[in-house]
Amino acid sequence: MKSMIKQGVQPVVSHCRDEGDGRRPWSLLDKVLLGLTPRQYLEQAIRNPFNWILGAIFAVGLPLIAYRFLFGLSAVTHSSYDYPWGLFLAFGLFAMVPLSASGFMLGTTVEIFGRHDFAPIERLALLNGLLGYLFAVIYLLVDLGQPWRLPYPMVVAFGPAAVLFLVAWHVATYLSVQVAEVSVSFFEFMGWAGGKRFIRRIAVGLTVAGIILSTLHQGALGALFTYAPGKVHPLWYSAAFQWIHFFCSAIPGGLCMVIAVSTVVKKTMAWRCDGTFLDNLDRCTIGLAKGASMGLVTYLTIKLIGVAHDNEWVYLTTGWGAWFLFELAVGVVLPLALFAWAIHHQRVGLVRLAAFITIFGVVLNRINTALIAFNWQLYREIPHIFEVLICLTIFAIYVVVYRFILYRLPILFTWKAVESEVPEAVAETVRPVRAGGSVPAASAVYRAID
Amino acid sequence: MIKPMSFLYVPVIALVVLLGATASTAAPSADSPDQVTIDRLASLFAAVSFDHAAHVEIAGDCATCHHHTTGDGAGTGRCGRCHAQSPKTAEVACGSCHQVDPFSAAALERKADDRYQYHVDKPGLKAAYHWNCLGCHEQSGGPTGCGDCHPRTPAGDAFYRAGAYAPKTAAAPAH
Amino acid sequence: MSGISRRRFLAASLAGCAATTLCGTQKALAAGSFTGYPEGMGVLVDMTRCIGCRSCEAACNREQNLPAPAKPFDDLSVFDETFHGGTQKRRPDENAYTVVNRYEPPGGKPVYRKVQCNHCNEPACLSSCFVNAYTKTQEGAVVYNSKICVGCRNCMIACPFNIPGYSYSSAFDPVVKKCIFCHETRLKNGRPPACVEICPQQALTFGKRRELIKIAHQRIHNEPGRYVDHLYGEKELGGTSWMYLSSAPFEQVGFDVAVQNEPIIANVKDFLSTVPMVLAIWPAMFTGFHLLAKRRGGHGHDDDHGGDHAASHGEEGGQS
Repeated sequence: MKSMIKQGVQPVVSHCRDEGDGRRPWSLLDKVLLGLTPRQYLEQAIRNPFNWILGAIFAVGLPLIAYRFLFGLSAVTHSSYDYPWGLFLAFGLFAMVPLSASGFMLGTTVEIFGRHDFAPIERLALLNGLLGYLFAVIYLLVDLGQPWRLPYPMVVAFGPAAVLFLVAWHVATYLSVQVAEVSVSFFEFMGWAGGKRFIRRIAVGLTVAGIILSTLHQGALGALFTYAPGKVHPLWYSAAFQWIHFFCSAIPGGLCMVIAVSTVVKKTMAWRCDGTFLDNLDRCTIGLAKGASMGLVTYLTIKLIGVAHDNEWVYLTTGWGAWFLFELAVGVVLPLALFAWAIHHQRVGLVRLAAFITIFGVVLNRINTALIAFNWQLYREIPHIFEVLICLTIFAIYVVVYRFILYRLPILFTWKAVESEVPEAVAETVRPVRAGGSVPAASAVYRAID
Repeated sequence: MIKPMSFLYVPVIALVVLLGATASTAAPSADSPDQVTIDRLASLFAAVSFDHAAHVEIAGDCATCHHHTTGDGAGTGRCGRCHAQSPKTAEVACGSCHQVDPFSAAALERKADDRYQYHVDKPGLKAAYHWNCLGCHEQSGGPTGCGDCHPRTPAGDAFYRAGAYAPKTAAAPAH
Repeated sequence: MSGISRRRFLAASLAGCAATTLCGTQKALAAGSFTGYPEGMGVLVDMTRCIGCRSCEAACNREQNLPAPAKPFDDLSVFDETFHGGTQKRRPDENAYTVVNRYEPPGGKPVYRKVQCNHCNEPACLSSCFVNAYTKTQEGAVVYNSKICVGCRNCMIACPFNIPGYSYSSAFDPVVKKCIFCHETRLKNGRPPACVEICPQQALTFGKRRELIKIAHQRIHNEPGRYVDHLYGEKELGGTSWMYLSSAPFEQVGFDVAVQNEPIIANVKDFLSTVPMVLAIWPAMFTGFHLLAKRRGGHGHDDDHGGDHAASHGEEGGQS
């Protein structure tokens, strides 16, 4: 895309082409093709080496997914009775969901606490939340024995005393909430001002709903393991605090995921970002890192309280203890130290590195709880190679969908409204900035970088 | 070392038994059967032909197997507390006390009504046989294999998926 | 406070109340403890009697129409099978609802342990199931409804005895496979399960659970040298319908002796209790934060990225 821009191609940022006085509206196809001709679009897609990597993954992974659905789980997993939840859930559900806590975190920051200085990154955080949940559900669908019965807990049979019942309802509801939150961008893209106005009106309600649902199901995912007191190693198990551990670690997890994604975005699709996003990114990153640090230090504290509460110190001297300490040292203490130093010295690069390490730490914690330290008295389950490949493939689909949306919807850039064309939207979309000054009204001016 | 395999005993084996075996006193009496065939309901296993006369010789004392019902004392232990002086009962055969179907609803109800509670844990007929026979056979070197007493019928082979009904390929069970 | 924000505040609170009411029902089932149906049946497994003949496995296979085994049921080499680097013995799975394993405790005869669903009074599988596919029947069986099972396998995670198996190999109708106490064919008609009926040694005693507890303690009392003074399953995990007597310490014959005496649901109640609190408190609290944040700074809302409800904002400004 970058080279296309050098050739004078303009990516779509509004409903109309900007060609001097001749304002021709973009068709939907134009918008989808980023303002390129189909031929141009295909050319740039083929030129991108990353697409070839994705293609290779899909070439292997998509047939494997089909294979799983045609021949059952036993075709692609070890069909373990002792480890009924394998990598699909350990990584796909238990790790993806905390990394998607960004939506409610930034929603709260901006909408509830009125910190509009974080607004430039809010939409990215909301989208990250939506896609993370969506793909957690997709991982779940791959793992479920009878995925077509997924709506059963909503409509057919209720097990209301089960934690998973809460998870199901809350994730389903929260997905709807996130779709609504992200739909603002979609409405702008489509030029449906009415839809956008409606969502704006209920924004606070949506955000508060998001906080409630997130608190509960992030915690509920942890509480799921309180069903297995003898199976999860005591160091990763805490009857009293499991849900708080999961909830609390989701906070740095979600925030760091936004830092990580924005880092990737800045590196790989700067052409799609507008000035508002790029100019504010470093400042927002530092801000997010401060939040993540608070989350991490709290998490570290309550993890240690968890050990003390159940008097598990003796386990720390075992091999499991060493692994536990490794998880905390590398996944929590190290990024915490890096954050502290980097924030103090305003070293954004180091903050980003620490964010990636934090993500590693959160993922490691979830995989430890669900897989590695699970059945600690039995044996270790090594996932089937097909299971790993399917996980990778779904993650690749996630990346593709993520990129597809970022390229098109006004997430990283501001949609440029055209007064003459959508008059009813004017009142809303072209209001002058009153405070903060961080969002210049004409921020939609496209910046061709590099 | 006993090969557990050899204890493949029957289920539904015949209860019956000793129905003909009416009592005897201390010494084998005239009405003590010489041969007892245990065959009712023996669908999975062939009938057992029990040489009562030979076992009378070996046991020496009727109470070894028949507790107090032959009237010659119940030995020591818990039973003796009540039954040391018990007279010979009208029925001596195992099946007259040990039920064929100890867990039927009717049997459970009877147990619940048992005022004395002493006999609530009395084994059923099948267990009574096996405990009695196996207990001695293990110590005295008598036969202990299932087939030693009652070879399997074809229906039994089908039930145990053995013999002609054995699995063709021994696939390792997936765990 | 302006009219609009008050209205919005009320709406948020109402939504919270509605949500709380909805979820209040979720708590109801979790409350209190259930110690089993008084007339529930059970089985007392006396491991001192078991001779490892595997007849129960054969009977179960026939009764439940399970697939053919890998080895005949009179093949005792299965006792030497181990899995996962020699760490695991056989376990019930999708093809076998019950298995017998041999243990050789130090200084004693081999002990045979029959493994099957223990039919907990307050089953973990049941309480973890989000579609209520499990039922504890009045007769004491824990039965499973394959028609509504989604296949999440949380029951397998939750079962402290690692009992439920899953027919992973089925692509279109995979279901949980576990011992159901022969509920449909026998138990509900007052008959003992097939394994009990076939046992030549009466190692399995069928009866009302409360009677079995008495019988078990009587056996221990009568023959203290024969038994370890413990009835496994009387208290463990809130009590199970199937209970065990052993000559060897239970930890030497494959039992998890570290399990809690409370049912598994007890571990989860703490979290379930927080749910209505969060639902009730969060809406008001965060809406309150929002109002505070807005009024304190007095700063406006930019309109685009992150700017919220610009229209109503204007209205508000006009009214206040």
